Amino acid sequence: MVHLIEIENYSWQYLNTPQEALKNINLKIEQGSFVGIIGPNGAGKTTLAYSMDGLIPGQYRGLKHGTVKIRGVEVEEYPRGKLQQMVGMVFSDPEAQFTAMTVEDELVFGMENLGMSLSEIRERLEWVTELTELKHLLLKPPYEISGGQKQRVALAAVLAMTPEVLILDEPTSMLDPVSRKRVFDVLQKLKQGQNTVIVIEHSLENLIPLADRMVLLADGEIALDAETGEFFQHLDLLLEKGISPPGAMRFFYELMRQNLYYGRLPLTVDEAAALLRGAA
Amino acid sequence: MNKTLLGYVPKESPIYLIHPFVKLYFLLVVSLFPMFITQPEANLVIMAVILLLMLWSRVDLRILRIYVPVAIAMGWIILLSYTVLGGTHPEFELLANVLGIKIYWERLRDGIVVYCRILPMIATMVFFLTTSRERDVIVAMRSIRIPFLVTYVFAMALRASGMVLEDFQIVRQAEQARGFDTTGKSLGYKIRKYVMYMIPLFALSLRRTEEFTNALVARGYAFTGEAAKVKRADYILTHYSFRLYDGILVALISILFIVILALRYGYNAFSLESSPLINWLYQILR
Repeated sequence: MVHLIEIENYSWQYLNTPQEALKNINLKIEQGSFVGIIGPNGAGKTTLAYSMDGLIPGQYRGLKHGTVKIRGVEVEEYPRGKLQQMVGMVFSDPEAQFTAMTVEDELVFGMENLGMSLSEIRERLEWVTELTELKHLLLKPPYEISGGQKQRVALAAVLAMTPEVLILDEPTSMLDPVSRKRVFDVLQKLKQGQNTVIVIEHSLENLIPLADRMVLLADGEIALDAETGEFFQHLDLLLEKGISPPGAMRFFYELMRQNLYYGRLPLTVDEAAALLRGAA
Repeated sequence: MNKTLLGYVPKESPIYLIHPFVKLYFLLVVSLFPMFITQPEANLVIMAVILLLMLWSRVDLRILRIYVPVAIAMGWIILLSYTVLGGTHPEFELLANVLGIKIYWERLRDGIVVYCRILPMIATMVFFLTTSRERDVIVAMRSIRIPFLVTYVFAMALRASGMVLEDFQIVRQAEQARGFDTTGKSLGYKIRKYVMYMIPLFALSLRRTEEFTNALVARGYAFTGEAAKVKRADYILTHYSFRLYDGILVALISILFIVILALRYGYNAFSLESSPLINWLYQILR
């Protein structure tokens, strides 16, 4: 198994803060996997994402222990721009990450930074606008479109750079359920394309069907790291750490607590429905 | 409708046939014309031509309504500065003496001349802003090989100014929701309490700067180092082509400017002595 990202004994403490934001993190992410990272606010999720994209320690000052390697090379050792070619990052606030005056310019900006040729840019622009259904918005200013469209633009802008790993930091936190679904539809297509995707997300209903593996961060530490099906069998721990599971899962958990159900907890509504049909 | 820097232009406007550089060149050169033309009527003709160009571009002229009070206020300020506040000039021809305030013909005339010079300059700027998008400005600059960094910083400054205004509204509404409102209060109170808006706005700007820097890094942009030396494809320019008629327009604007200079300095054209409007006013007022 090829490990695209290897994090070993990694700790990070921001300058002038009393405690470490991340403590002794050990995480290996394989190529082509879809990983969900969850945790309460302040758990260190964004810090972990920034660490994998080189924003930490590049843009922030603090104390680092351990290693964060992408394709076997420490993030600091990559020249500026090179790492971003491999690791794409989508931030939670779409508006804050816009760097251009039209959607088209926004999508092209990253590709130009990487020195791509005009024909390559045209080809990728065509592909990414089709994937994210943004063709009709190309000439609009990115800050004048809806929240969902903004986040799709931000996602498309990073996808156009065709990074090996795509990290999304709470990409749907500012979106309504319909827009959220559309962002996850794009992620579904990426999963089918065998892309390596890491999603930090609170919306578990959308994340669970896609994630191969889930990581729970709490108080700067990895509290649980397991394959998705196995991960949600530890619902006691998840609830203790402030994670709110999807309704169907919660329902079966309550049945289990009252000794009315003894099997595995269903991950999705469909699985729950199938279990109920089986029981009837 | 397509949104421009200062309004909206229909999608089928003929202005889109013109290369952005021509529009920028028009702004930079035509706004110089009134500097070399003293005759008010000639400057008013320039203004009329610009209004006709706006009509041709299908600009919604209702946008001009917001400038009418500004134009009137500016006219009054210039007139008062040149007449009432113009000082004592025994060498000038006295038209009236109202309660010790001397109104001279030369000062009044100069006020009118200055005002009629400013109007077409503003009209040229409004024409440019109502027919150009941010992207047009960037394309115009890049098409004359202004470095990417300069054009990018310019574009971001344009964007940032809009964002600061948006943030200001957010801060104001948030503070109004908490019971802090300067509506209806005296100007002195508003100025004193302005700091209540400025502190969160400043904090918000700092946060936006951090987020924007992160976004630039995440998109592989760098101001220095190897990544900064990458040859950019400048994809944006592929949407625009500088056609023959664009060249002709640039040549026409240049020739017109040279003709104005030649007439002004070679033949003393556009002088006040030969201005029918000024002579007519003089006949009435003296």
